[in-house]
Parts: sequence; C-alpha cells; structure tokens
Amino acid sequence: MSPLLAVEDLSVSFVRSGLLDRLINPFPLPGFNVVDGVTLSLMPAETLGLVGESGSGKTTLARTILGLIRAAAGRIVFEGRDVQTPADFRAMRRRSAMMFQDPVASLSPRLRVGTLLTEPQVIQGLPMPDRRAAAKALLALVGLPASFVDRFPHELSGGQARRVGVARALAMKPHLLLADEPTAGLDVSVQGDVLNLIGELKRELGFAAMIVTHNLAMIRHVSDRLAIMYLGRLVETGPTQEVFSAPLHPYTATLIRSEPIPDPRRRSHKPAVTGEIPSVFRRPSGCEFHTRCPLVQSRCKTEAPAYRPMGAGRMVRCHFPLQTGGQEREAVSRASANQRGN
Amino acid sequence: MSGPLAASGLSVRYETPHGSVHALRHVDIEAHPGEVIGIVGESGCGKSTLVTALANLLPANARIDGSIRYNGVDLAKLDAHRQRLLRGDEIALVGQDPMTAFNPVLTIGDQLVDFQHHRKDLSRAQKRARIAAMLGRVGIADAERRMRSYPHELSGGMRQRVAIAAALLTDPGLLIADEPTTALDVTMEAQIIHLLRELRRDYNGIVIVVSHHLGVIAELCDRVYVMYAGEVVEGGEVDAIFHDPRHPYTQALLACDPARFRERLDRLPTIPGALPSLTQPPVGCVYAPRCGRGFAPCKTVAPPLVKLTACHAARCHAVTS
Repeated sequence: MSPLLAVEDLSVSFVRSGLLDRLINPFPLPGFNVVDGVTLSLMPAETLGLVGESGSGKTTLARTILGLIRAAAGRIVFEGRDVQTPADFRAMRRRSAMMFQDPVASLSPRLRVGTLLTEPQVIQGLPMPDRRAAAKALLALVGLPASFVDRFPHELSGGQARRVGVARALAMKPHLLLADEPTAGLDVSVQGDVLNLIGELKRELGFAAMIVTHNLAMIRHVSDRLAIMYLGRLVETGPTQEVFSAPLHPYTATLIRSEPIPDPRRRSHKPAVTGEIPSVFRRPSGCEFHTRCPLVQSRCKTEAPAYRPMGAGRMVRCHFPLQTGGQEREAVSRASANQRGN
Repeated sequence: MSGPLAASGLSVRYETPHGSVHALRHVDIEAHPGEVIGIVGESGCGKSTLVTALANLLPANARIDGSIRYNGVDLAKLDAHRQRLLRGDEIALVGQDPMTAFNPVLTIGDQLVDFQHHRKDLSRAQKRARIAAMLGRVGIADAERRMRSYPHELSGGMRQRVAIAAALLTDPGLLIADEPTTALDVTMEAQIIHLLRELRRDYNGIVIVVSHHLGVIAELCDRVYVMYAGEVVEGGEVDAIFHDPRHPYTQALLACDPARFRERLDRLPTIPGALPSLTQPPVGCVYAPRCGRGFAPCKTVAPPLVKLTACHAARCHAVTS
C-alpha cells in the first residue's frame, strides 16, 4: 500500500528580514531551521501522533504540510502526487483539513455556526443546494442539535466548539485530518468525548489523521504510530505501544518519565531531566539533546547522530539508543530506579 | 506568624444582570500549617472562586456568606486596609500564567524589592540580598544577573520559579498556587513539582494547590478536596481520594484520566451530561443528573456531608460511614 502522505527531508526556515533587524545586525546568521530535514509518511486510515514540547516545531510542520507556511527545502507527496505550487496545495486542501489549536478563536466571531460549517464547500466552489440542511447534517454527524446552526461561536462551550471544529474539518470529506492540540484546554471528561468522536468518525469515514500534541497520556490511546520531535527534528518514530513500552531515544524516555502519575503511591523523586529546551537560534553542537541528556557521552557533543532505522518500523536519532547494549540499559534502569521510588 | 485556615459554610454568589450565579455553596475546608492542600475539579466547579475568596480578592458583585477564619481572624469581616496588609504579609498567590504575573517594564530585581515593601526594617541592599538568596533557592543560577533581567528575557519555567520566589519572599503563612504548572511543558512541570516539594520541607505555612490535573495533585498534596458545580463533594487524605474514592463524581473523574491506563483504550471514558446551571442550582444533589447510582432522594434532597473516617468525608446519599 502506498502512503497517503509522504514528507521527505522537509525544512522550514524563518529568516529575520526586517529593515530594523538588518540595521541592528548587518551580518545576520544564515537562516535557522525551525523544522529541519523531517521525513515522515502516513498510511491511509492511520493515526499518527506528532509529539514534542513547545518550540519543537510540531505545529509549524503540520502547517507546512498543508501549505500554510512555505517550506525551504524538501518534498511533500500527497496521494502519489508532488505538491509544490499554490494550486497543488489548494487541490490538496480539498482532500485534507486542519483543526486549529484554539477552537473558539478559529471560528469567526461574527458568523453563525451554520455559515461557518459550510464555508469550506463555498470556498472550494462545490455545489450545495441547501446550505442550511448541509450544516444540520454536519451538526448531526458530530452529535450536536440542529438548532446550533443559528448560534454564534461565543455561545458554545469549549467542548461544543471543538465539535464544531471537527464538523467543519470533515465538511469536505477529507482523506487527511490534521488536528493541532485537539483537546488542549478541555477537561478530562470532555477530552475523551472529543477523541472518541474523532475515533468513531475515522472508523466510519476512513480518513487518516495526524494529531499534534504534547499530551502523552492522551496520545497513547488514540494513535497507531508516534513521531517525537525535538528542536525541529524527528528524534524517534515507531508504533505507539512499542515507543511507550521501550523508548529508544533518551528524550522520549524523559518525556514519558516526566508525566505526573495520578497515583500518590508512585510519586517521582527526581525530575527526569533538568534545564530547558534550547533555542533553535543556538542549536547545540553534535546531538541537540546532549545538553539535557542523562546518558550523554563525549561523542554526543561533537558528532551529530544520523536518523536511522532500528528494528521493524522504528527510527531513532541517537548514537547510543536505549536497549541496544547491556551497558546502556543498565545505566538507564539505574537512573530510573533513582528517579522513581518504590 | 502562621496559623490554621478554616472556611465554614462558605457561599459565594455573583450578582449579574441575568440573576445571581451561585458559584460556591456551603463549602467547609480546613488547612493546618505544614500541610499541602489540593483543590481539584473541572472548569466551572468553583475552585477559582474558592481561592479568590480565601485571598479576599473577589470582585465587587460577589456576595459572601459564611466565614473564612485564618489564625483566629475572620477575613471577610476585615476592612479593606487590613485585608491588604494581610495579603502582602501573610497570603501569597502564584498564578497560572507566569507571563502576566510581572510588570514588563521593570527588572525582576526591582519588582521583587517592591514585593517586600511591608518590610520597613530592611534596607534596599538587604532586600536585594534576600532576593538573591531566594532566587538561588528556587533553582535560578546566576541570581545577580537575573535580577537585572526583564521578565521577557526569562523562559516560562524560569518566570514561574521567580513567581514562587516572589511569593516566598513575604514569608507567607498561606501560599496559594493556582494551576502552577498548567502553562508549562511536561519536563518543566516535573521540575516545578519537584521544586515545590523541596521548598515545603523548610516552609511551615499552608500551601493550597489548585489544579484540574490529577497527576499534579497526586504528586504534591497531603489532603485533597474535590469540587463539583460549586460544592466540595469529597475531601480526604490524598491516598484515600485516589485509592478509595467514595463520591460517584470523584470516581468518574479519576476513571476519565487517560494517564491511569497503560494499555490502549479504544474508547476513552467520559462523564455523560453537562454541569448544572449555577443560576438555578438543583435542589437535590448537584451530581444527580449525571450520576449512575441516583435513587429517589438524590433529586429532591441535598445530601449531607457524610463523615467516613477522621478526615475523609463525601457529600452523597449513597455512602455510609
């Protein structure tokens, strides 16, 4: 089966080009990559979780895939066709949809829900005999009452606004859904609702989804595969269950260990990592994670590791992936034994 | 000067043009020096109203019934001047958003000097020395240089550390942390949790942590109050709340947290239904419309607070001690 979406060596570079900036700094640094050499593929009907901390470039990557930000280098192939020109991206966006991060802010405050839901079809010039009926059908799809067509976005609760966001994303029957933090700011009881809804509709309509999030507890249950980003680069990809049970990259292991556990009997005793994510302006030499890595060795500081396959369907960017040799494994289990009591 | 804090029969309603909103109803909580108290609940449960009431910062349209006694003084009965003195001296607040907690045009050092304005006995140099020591204690390297920085020059995690340092500089008897890690990344969240836990070792006051995140509550607190629709529905020791929850809402809330399940779930658990209206709160149990166990009295009779053990209580008809 050929992938629905393939991204090859994609880089996005933000260049400071303002006049003031050039006056202050006449010899600027060459463009720095916010997303750097990302290679990724998504099979039809698959759910991929794109995980990283703020500043890791995950949202930028998702937006670039849909052509909302221009890539500096690399290829995007969607349904077997190269996507390059603005016309290509428009054609791609007819078959793909984005759910933006802030559900209320991404709905125009002056338009009613009915208008918002049918805007995609109008923009794409699709025939729609009865706009109101189409909007009601979409509301029914996401389990909202038909009377919501006349509501304004500010009259919706957070969960309802998400549902409208889901309905609008699915209005064009996309083959690909990109959801940027679909549950940020929602209560746990409502978060499950929105994710179950996306899951049900996925089974029913068969689209593939890429979910961008920093929420590990949630993504564990809704994704088939995970891609972990750090400073604009992928550091690990693999099947979700395997990544959680046996992470290869120390950064992935760190993320999983940092998550607070809702059980007072299993309190963590030491933070898994200290320090903060460095800035892309000053990318560390060698492996970017070496400044925070609990298992750093001298080679990591000078030599950048390659992104290489490790076992079936897994990739990692690390000189000393976990669980390869006995030595590393021992070191990590010692480190985690110190970090977790009982 | 720290002492016990107790709110009893505390109710807060906001008078609005659309009628009064009963944001808090007959809340009883208590806290003793040295304890870390967690207040957990979902949006709209009243946790922010509760801590705002404790800090005496409710807006003018709020009407308060009941009492909040701190160290033997009824806070609600103090005049505005005495309240302000108490806030500067005894009660400190660490907010959710470390970005907006500081004045963007003053350096960190100048702002932290201002935070100590009530310490008339200290010179400016002494105040700056205290700041440097406190910044070091909350894990900020190079404190002298950081004191000359402006807030935008610090990262989110560092700003939250400075906010905690600012709160501790006043030697508060009551430290309220409202969603202290919500705006932070998970690796920074773990570090701030660790910092708060370290600090409580030599801090003898009361810490109140408000969060919707069950993991944060479990990591930090000694005792927990669970709130729903303006009421405290269950309170008890952290172990009892997480391992022997008795109120159906507490049970449902815990069951919803995906962090509890290591195996992949096809459907995430949810709580069906919606919060009741706070303009017309239900006559019976607030949770009855969404409760799986509801029986006859639940819809018509408000349940009493049933004491289960010395410090574990739940507001439910279905529990018995």
